[in-house]
Amino acid sequence: MRYKGKNMIDWQEQWAYFVRQWTNNGYKMFLRGLSNTCKIAILGLIIGIILGAVIAIIRVMPKYKLIPRILDKISAVYVAFFRGTPILVQLIIVHYILKPIFGFSVSSIIEAIIVFGLNSGAYVSEIMRSGINSVDKGQMEAGRSLGLGYWTTMVKIVLPQAIKNIIPTLGNEFIALMKDTSVVNIIAVDDLYRAFNLMGGSKYWYIIPYLVLAICYIVLVLIIAGLVKIIEKVMSKSDKKQEKNSKSKGFGKVSQKG
Amino acid sequence: MEEVVLKVENLCKDFGKEKVLKGISIDIKKAEKIVVLGPSGSGKSTFLRCLNCMEDPTSGSIIYEGEDLANFKVDINKHRQHIGMVFQHFNLFNNKNVIQNIMLAPVLIQTRELRKNRRKNFFIKVSNLFRKNKKPLIEINDTVAGIKKKNEEKAYALLKRIGLEDKALVYPSTLSGGQKQRIAIIRALAMEPKVMLFDEPTSALDPEMVGEVLELMKDLAEEGMTMVVVTHEMGFAREVANRVIFIDDGVIKEENSPKEFFSNPKDARLKDFLSKVL
Repeated sequence: MRYKGKNMIDWQEQWAYFVRQWTNNGYKMFLRGLSNTCKIAILGLIIGIILGAVIAIIRVMPKYKLIPRILDKISAVYVAFFRGTPILVQLIIVHYILKPIFGFSVSSIIEAIIVFGLNSGAYVSEIMRSGINSVDKGQMEAGRSLGLGYWTTMVKIVLPQAIKNIIPTLGNEFIALMKDTSVVNIIAVDDLYRAFNLMGGSKYWYIIPYLVLAICYIVLVLIIAGLVKIIEKVMSKSDKKQEKNSKSKGFGKVSQKG
Repeated sequence: MEEVVLKVENLCKDFGKEKVLKGISIDIKKAEKIVVLGPSGSGKSTFLRCLNCMEDPTSGSIIYEGEDLANFKVDINKHRQHIGMVFQHFNLFNNKNVIQNIMLAPVLIQTRELRKNRRKNFFIKVSNLFRKNKKPLIEINDTVAGIKKKNEEKAYALLKRIGLEDKALVYPSTLSGGQKQRIAIIRALAMEPKVMLFDEPTSALDPEMVGEVLELMKDLAEEGMTMVVVTHEMGFAREVANRVIFIDDGVIKEENSPKEFFSNPKDARLKDFLSKVL
């Protein structure tokens, strides 16, 4: 074997090694890692949206009474904590501090989903708040003037419009969340990063696996971005298009929604 | 013309340190049309918005059906159902089409009432098992589907009245200002209000479209609706109003019949105002 300089990389050999690793066991690890990553990101986002909506409404609520004021303070503390610490630290706190102390036995992936949900809840609440504030105040006033309650108007009128306004930002949040999942290997979750890390194998040849990893994330993000665009289009269509082509269909729709 | 619908007593409203309304008292009688005039910043819009507690009055009282709306403990939502309001910027629900806009509030409120009655009936039935003299059930003739159908028909009838039935399934963003405002008016009408409050209904419209909205308001006036209108349309005030009031600096400066009001103003500020407007 001819001597090669320190910085010379035998791409062919490395590629062959990677392919061998991939066909051997790697594709299974890849699929499991991919599913775990998607699970954490998607479920985290769903928890985040629900939590974020509730907290956003609490924070924009009129605060004449005591209970909304207390809830507001609690949610302010929650947002401050989850925005103020890195997600890595939050994962460590849950896994290495809270878990031993309280002795709950859940799998690492559920821990990760919960932490990501709580984390994105804090961010989504701020996004939602700006979304709710972006809806014309008159919409709430009109609902209230007809005798509807605050929550009814919020849920039926303001929130749907707010969500439509924040879809792009929410997509952004989802992309960030998806990429942030690469830190969950710290609590031993087999995510996408870990799958490619293992493919380095006994030779520690990481160059190609990590490049492929980067491409995987790029593809994932592009898919999400495409989906967000489609959703945006569908939602913006709904209020511009005149539904005159099928009157009976529209009529039925009205009755269902009320 | 004697029954008082809204009795306003010594109404005050502060925004922080700024006193906007400084004690307004007025009786609004049934079927009366009151037009409120005043320079901008005089508090006339605030006065109107206080009438249905869109702005909570700082002090004073608004007596409606024997209850004080300014009191926090009163269920304001219940009373607002019978106090229609029309806004300067229409405020149609952008995420609902026209027919949904009109139906939404009555359907929601009536179905809630229905569910409440059903719940009550259930408890009466359960407690009747242990009673000797049975308590009668609340009569329920409606179903959720029935309520929807009824309100849909009503909404179409209202749309027909303003000649916009073909716009029923269109979203508000495709309508002109005049159409929006007329739909906003019939949306308020769908709640069968006893009083209608108009907050500068024609100020955000093209001059061309002012006419159609005023026409609808005149129609309503002829039907005997009680109306309180904040407007800059002097012609409307002359033609329709029973009483014109002039608010300046948070107090009622002059209150008179339109004829007297325009031909024989007494207050100095009003004279100045009229000379500029007319």
